[in-house]
Amino acid sequence: MSGEIDRSWRDPELLAKALPSVILQTGFFLAPLLMTMALTFQRTKNFQLTWTWSLETWTDIFTKPHYWTILGHTLFMAITCVVLCLLIAFPVAYALATRLRAYQNHVKVLITFAFLTDATLKTFGWVLFLDKNGAANYIARLTGFEGDAVNILFTDWATMLGMVYNLLSFAIFTIYLSIDAIDRSLILAAYDAGASKFRAFWEVTLPLARPGIWAASVLIFLLAVGVFLEPKVLGGGKSPMSAELIRQTFETRVNWPLGAALTLVLMVVAVFIVLLFNRIYSLKRHMGPI
Amino acid sequence: MAYPTPTPWLNARAEARLANVLLYGATAAVLIFFYIPIFTLIAFSFQEGRYPTLPFEGVSLKWYAALFQNSSAGDALYNSTVIAVVATLFATVIGSAAAIVAVRYRFRFRIPFTGLSAAPLAFPQLLLGIVLLLWFSVLGRTFNFNTGIVTAIIGHVVYITPFAMVIVAVQVFNFDATLEDAARDCGATTVEVYRYVTLPLLWPGIFSAGIFAFLLSWGNFYLTYSLAGSTRTLPTFVFSGIATGSSPLYPAIATVVFIPGILLVILADRIRRKG
Repeated sequence: MSGEIDRSWRDPELLAKALPSVILQTGFFLAPLLMTMALTFQRTKNFQLTWTWSLETWTDIFTKPHYWTILGHTLFMAITCVVLCLLIAFPVAYALATRLRAYQNHVKVLITFAFLTDATLKTFGWVLFLDKNGAANYIARLTGFEGDAVNILFTDWATMLGMVYNLLSFAIFTIYLSIDAIDRSLILAAYDAGASKFRAFWEVTLPLARPGIWAASVLIFLLAVGVFLEPKVLGGGKSPMSAELIRQTFETRVNWPLGAALTLVLMVVAVFIVLLFNRIYSLKRHMGPI
Repeated sequence: MAYPTPTPWLNARAEARLANVLLYGATAAVLIFFYIPIFTLIAFSFQEGRYPTLPFEGVSLKWYAALFQNSSAGDALYNSTVIAVVATLFATVIGSAAAIVAVRYRFRFRIPFTGLSAAPLAFPQLLLGIVLLLWFSVLGRTFNFNTGIVTAIIGHVVYITPFAMVIVAVQVFNFDATLEDAARDCGATTVEVYRYVTLPLLWPGIFSAGIFAFLLSWGNFYLTYSLAGSTRTLPTFVFSGIATGSSPLYPAIATVVFIPGILLVILADRIRRKG
């Protein structure tokens, strides 16, 4: 609908609108990122950064399996989280787009509010809920379970619960938008051609919703590799994930080059996996329906 | 493509009923799931006893009284408000402008521009916080400043602007550009076109972006934690509380943090439906 207008960078109107964002993201996103890369080639001495170029940090990273074990664990948790989020979010997004006519707005408002509430607070709420003397066990005891029926706090299960909880809304919104954008007449055409409801869903709706599902997966995966709160607060810090390791490297060990290098490794591996899946995904699409 | 006609394993009505049960059930289950920790916090803030455990020793408002006498909680409330208000203003203005540019204009480097402007969306907050902390530490050593409320605001703006941009972009996308042309043909100046046509039409998007921005900043933990130095906001105050052993004071703070959120989300929905 909107007509696009040709503009040159010499146009003051374009400059006035584009420059603030460019300056902001160059000065406080791109530049810090580049500096972080440069930092990985420096040394530390007595907890102080010295600007001398060296490969010490990188040899350290590539020779110690410890970092890679944690990275592997992080990736495993992140991928599990993506799968769970998609499985849970899809029916909700579908219901939001195709059912719930009268209550659609209420449900959206409820989900938005839960999403916008700070993750620290919600995670803390889960601790209180899952605690041995917390609400979950209280309810379990009332309903006749013996002892501490709910005993997952400070395990990976609790971490996963927290991750899914905090990232699920991203999946619901992204998939909802893609289902909502589907042209209804295509589905009606499938019915006219004799498809059952399920068949129309499987062969029309689902393929058309794929971009949304894909976008949700990428977004959740990239955010899930960076979680720190859930493994620390819900997982009790027992099996640390990369972000926690990075934070410790900066705060406790005060080794900036190592922390910077670990940050980069995490981001590069995460982006690499996204590209890899993207490749598989587009290959599959060329080979026909899955 | 030719498919064999499968024998349906369910008749159409049973199929529809099953789908409905699944869909409504999933939605209800997810809503309950979303509100479990929120209601747990609200419930525990009214606990009479010293520990946030069940069963309650009694119901009281004494932790709210304690909260209002606690000066560091007051400071945290003040800091949260200042950071959220300033960050919202910057993020909404910069993000809205960037959205108009990204959707409406064709220019060289449009794709790099859009990519750069939206990049922090898919960057984990903790890592963004760390990268910015390094940046401010190095700059701070050169220009002699410490991290504090200003650096926290900058971090929030970097993180929230892309959200504002995406929300406004949706509105710009559905915007009928001929209305602007019509105004111009009637002799309106550039400023007048903006004042009377563009901004009123984009207002719902900008308004939701502002509310989103405020709440993202108001409840932000990761960036504040990395960038605010010794300045505490409500979320970092709660986090330090969890670390030192919990008392119902923290659920009470959490409940206070929820209030502007609920009000703003309801307000936004009202305005959007009227508009």
